[in-house]
Amino acid sequence: MATVDQAVRLRTGTRSERLVRWVTRTPIHIGLIAIAVIWLVPTVGLALTSFRKPENIANSGWWHAFTQWDWTLHNYGSVIHATGMGHAWVNSLIITVPATLLPLTLGALAAFGFAWIPFPFRDTLFLLIVALMIVPIQTSLVPLLKLFAEHGHLNNGYWGIWLAHTAFGLPLAVFLLRNFFITLPKDLIEAARMDGASNLSIFRRIVVPLSVPALASFGIFQFLWVWNDLLMALIFVSDPSKQPMTVRIPYLISTYGQEYNLLAAAAFLLMIVPLIVFFALQRYFVQGLLAGSVKS
Amino acid sequence: MSTQPLPAPAAPAPDAKGHQVLLRSRVEGLKGILFVLPALVVLAIFLIYPAYYTIRLAFYEGDFHFGFFHYLGIENFKQLLTNDKDFLDLSKFPPGGALINNLRWLIVYISLSLLIGLGLAVLAVRVRYERFVKTAIFVPMAIAAVAVGIIWLLVYSPDADVGVLNALLRGGGLHTQSWLGNPSLVNYALIFAYIWASVGFVMVVLSAAIKGLPADVLEAARVDGANEWQIFRRIMFPLLSLPISVVTIWLFINVIKVFDIIYVMTGGGPGTSSRVIAFTMYEETFHNGRPGYGAAVAVIMLVLIAPVMVLNVRRFRSERVVA
Amino acid sequence: MKRRRPFIALAVVLALVAAGLTATAISAKPAKRNANSIEVLSLWGGSEKDAFLKVTAAFTKATGINVQYTSARDFIPDIRTRLAAGNPPEIGILPRPGYIGTLAKQGALKPLSGLGLTNAYMKSNYSAGWLSLGSSGGKLYGVPAKANSKSVIWYKPQSFKKYHFKIPATWTQLLAITKKYKAKGLVPWSVGAGPSQSQWTLTDWFENIYARTAGPAKYQALFTGKLPFTDPSVAKAARTMTQIINNKYVLNGVQGVLGQSFVGGITDVFGTKPKAQLYFEGGFVGGIALQQVNTSLKPGKTIASFPWPTVTPSRGRPIVGAADFAAAFKDTPEVRQFLKYISTKAAGTIWVSTGAVNSPNKRVSGKAYPNVLARAEAHQLATAKTFLFDGSDLLPGAFGDTWGFALQDVIQHPSNINSILSDFQKKIKGQF
Repeated sequence: MATVDQAVRLRTGTRSERLVRWVTRTPIHIGLIAIAVIWLVPTVGLALTSFRKPENIANSGWWHAFTQWDWTLHNYGSVIHATGMGHAWVNSLIITVPATLLPLTLGALAAFGFAWIPFPFRDTLFLLIVALMIVPIQTSLVPLLKLFAEHGHLNNGYWGIWLAHTAFGLPLAVFLLRNFFITLPKDLIEAARMDGASNLSIFRRIVVPLSVPALASFGIFQFLWVWNDLLMALIFVSDPSKQPMTVRIPYLISTYGQEYNLLAAAAFLLMIVPLIVFFALQRYFVQGLLAGSVKS
Repeated sequence: MSTQPLPAPAAPAPDAKGHQVLLRSRVEGLKGILFVLPALVVLAIFLIYPAYYTIRLAFYEGDFHFGFFHYLGIENFKQLLTNDKDFLDLSKFPPGGALINNLRWLIVYISLSLLIGLGLAVLAVRVRYERFVKTAIFVPMAIAAVAVGIIWLLVYSPDADVGVLNALLRGGGLHTQSWLGNPSLVNYALIFAYIWASVGFVMVVLSAAIKGLPADVLEAARVDGANEWQIFRRIMFPLLSLPISVVTIWLFINVIKVFDIIYVMTGGGPGTSSRVIAFTMYEETFHNGRPGYGAAVAVIMLVLIAPVMVLNVRRFRSERVVA
Repeated sequence: MKRRRPFIALAVVLALVAAGLTATAISAKPAKRNANSIEVLSLWGGSEKDAFLKVTAAFTKATGINVQYTSARDFIPDIRTRLAAGNPPEIGILPRPGYIGTLAKQGALKPLSGLGLTNAYMKSNYSAGWLSLGSSGGKLYGVPAKANSKSVIWYKPQSFKKYHFKIPATWTQLLAITKKYKAKGLVPWSVGAGPSQSQWTLTDWFENIYARTAGPAKYQALFTGKLPFTDPSVAKAARTMTQIINNKYVLNGVQGVLGQSFVGGITDVFGTKPKAQLYFEGGFVGGIALQQVNTSLKPGKTIASFPWPTVTPSRGRPIVGAADFAAAFKDTPEVRQFLKYISTKAAGTIWVSTGAVNSPNKRVSGKAYPNVLARAEAHQLATAKTFLFDGSDLLPGAFGDTWGFALQDVIQHPSNINSILSDFQKKIKGQF
């Protein structure tokens, strides 16, 4: 079926028709490009600010930077060493990687069960998980804080936050992956079953290799979600030396509120990883988002 | 972008081996529960049990150790909805309070995000540099709310030599504004910063949906002499109602849960004028030391989000029946 | 497989970035909390933090115990969460005796007598006034670590000289100078009472005015719950406050006040691009201005302070001051040594020599203060006939913040002062 894109390109017509189209379309072009540029302005402003010297920032807007040509890397150095952001960056990584792999693994296993293994109450349980997808974090903060503290001081290390993120990421993982697993060729799985393969080996040898796009989609989505999370880290990582960047940056704002050179550098350190992930694996990230909300 | 059809779930193949297979499939079924069990256990302990705890705590005052101390009945809810000016203040016009702020978010954030996102999607689909536009608009979605906060703190800076918005105002001969210090402006300033970060999602989803529209129908309408606006209003928009509703629900969930950007940019200020319910829960529980009160706010959040849960479940079930 | 390539690329990039930053981060890693170190939590950042770090460096040199300093953005939720997690810092140096009392009642703090600091020893170093502030339920929990006067107004001597202004001794004279600045086309005041939890600056305005209009007895009664906030004297003082903090006399008007932080306000007056002429906040402004905001300032020439004028002449000039108290969440040998050290003359001397603080310690000599600004403040504190502690810091729990919010409301809606005060009174009733 032809799509809207193709349909548009097929139309050419006479020179005057093309001229009329150009005149009516130009405002659209200008408008679109203007909006896209406007959308980029705030981020670009911050990026430029992070390379400017503090005196320059206070005295002139970042748009003057193009004519000033007075760049410096000092801000990044300050932020990494003096304010401990480098350490916090590593903490972000330490928190995010397991908090992505755990729900991915548990979620994939569960999704396989929901997709390909009939068992009693399967559908009801799955509906429960669908319902749990949007439960707000606020309902868990206090009880989990108490739970973690009373059973092994999980707040002192990283296990508290890992488990909390796993729990909140699981419903989406199970939902997304189960919807994908269902689309796998039934005959392949049936044939394997008839050959006597156990569920686990079907999972390992057939389902997982065929599901890399879906696993990647969830993985990237969860990675970004945990990396960017503030509230859970604020409550569940009580040791300041283990806090991630999202928690340490508001401290910077309250201490160095006017010093945008430091704030900008810190913000970019925080942004750089999700931006790399986003640009390198854009397709998977978008797929994950879409699959989480659109179903057909 | 690949779309995914939703076939019926698999059923075990009927088999002539009879009793043996039935037994085997029972055993396999039980083993299947093993796959699901770890996830269910995690969810039960870390999601379901805490929800029960919080709901119960809302009926108590709570103490320093967040325990069930001093039963209050529905007193917390009564206090929140009738006697807490920071939460709900109907005594003046326009009304104030955190709950009303969420209402502002609901109206302004959702409608503007939809309008801008839909408009961009429809227009961008026709140009060759669509990918550039989409990427530019979508990038903020990958950025943490904390970083979005800093980006917009810079934009809103009251000093016209630092903040681009006030620089533009000054350049245009207008008075500079204290965007985050003015209680009448602060909420809209925050809302717009968040719109900036969210429109990308709307645009991408609707753009994909638009590309999936039947081109022959649209072409036929064009041939019949309909102009672009009529085509959009009469054909495209109705056909897009499902993706639009999906996006609206996503935006609605954001409105109920919004916290990070307020924490980073204003801390609920000036005073309490930019508070939202998620922030109130945090303040009351951890700052003011009233866990039961905060839990009541969390319950209100759950109540507000419950219709979406029901909607999700219902829609999922109906689609399965159709397939 | 083609599909794997982006993964490999990404994995490599991330690994490289991680390795690089890990290497840099390791060199900046804060000291590990092991048996020979303690963690101190307080609110200072910037130059105030640097001043404190000089004290802890001396402590580490003398005892070999490492001190890890953590600054809190909003110390009440921080402490709350950490206590709930069973992981509080060893020491907290907090500006709010009211909150220390709340913590002590919950059993979260260790009394000083159990930590080797006897009452007799403390009495020999600190006056009874300081000690009673650091106590709760008859027991002493906080070592007065540093003090500051909050009854000083900061100005530019060169500007006063230029316009032939005299140091104002009364509120009327202060208002007159304000109007004269305005008539010359200059913005008289900058106030920072908004972002970064800066609303406490408004409470300091109020306290100075209240002490100078209602008198010390009512002041004490008000902030210890014996006088309701609906008493007419409170509204009167709040209204007086709005004679200066209004759209006419402050930078960017009331909205500007709510959009500016406390350090930002200092920058507005004393930074390299000044926008206003007068700034009120405590003695610590001098240290921050000199070391953080504008290092080219010259004490006495381009920055100086004068004492808060009288408002009702018969009430004179009671000094409103504040102090931070060091309290212990845990009992360990390192904690005991640290608290002992903080209470010594040596620690106090090092700290005041940075110009950032005043010491409540009787034994610290006036000669230790480094410049004319710090000496003036020390003199004011030492010779105060009436000394009143910062009222909002005496309020229990988090009400110090709530009172700040109420005052933010007052400057926005001065016609609603009475209803704002009665709302606040409703909230705080019974909380003392």
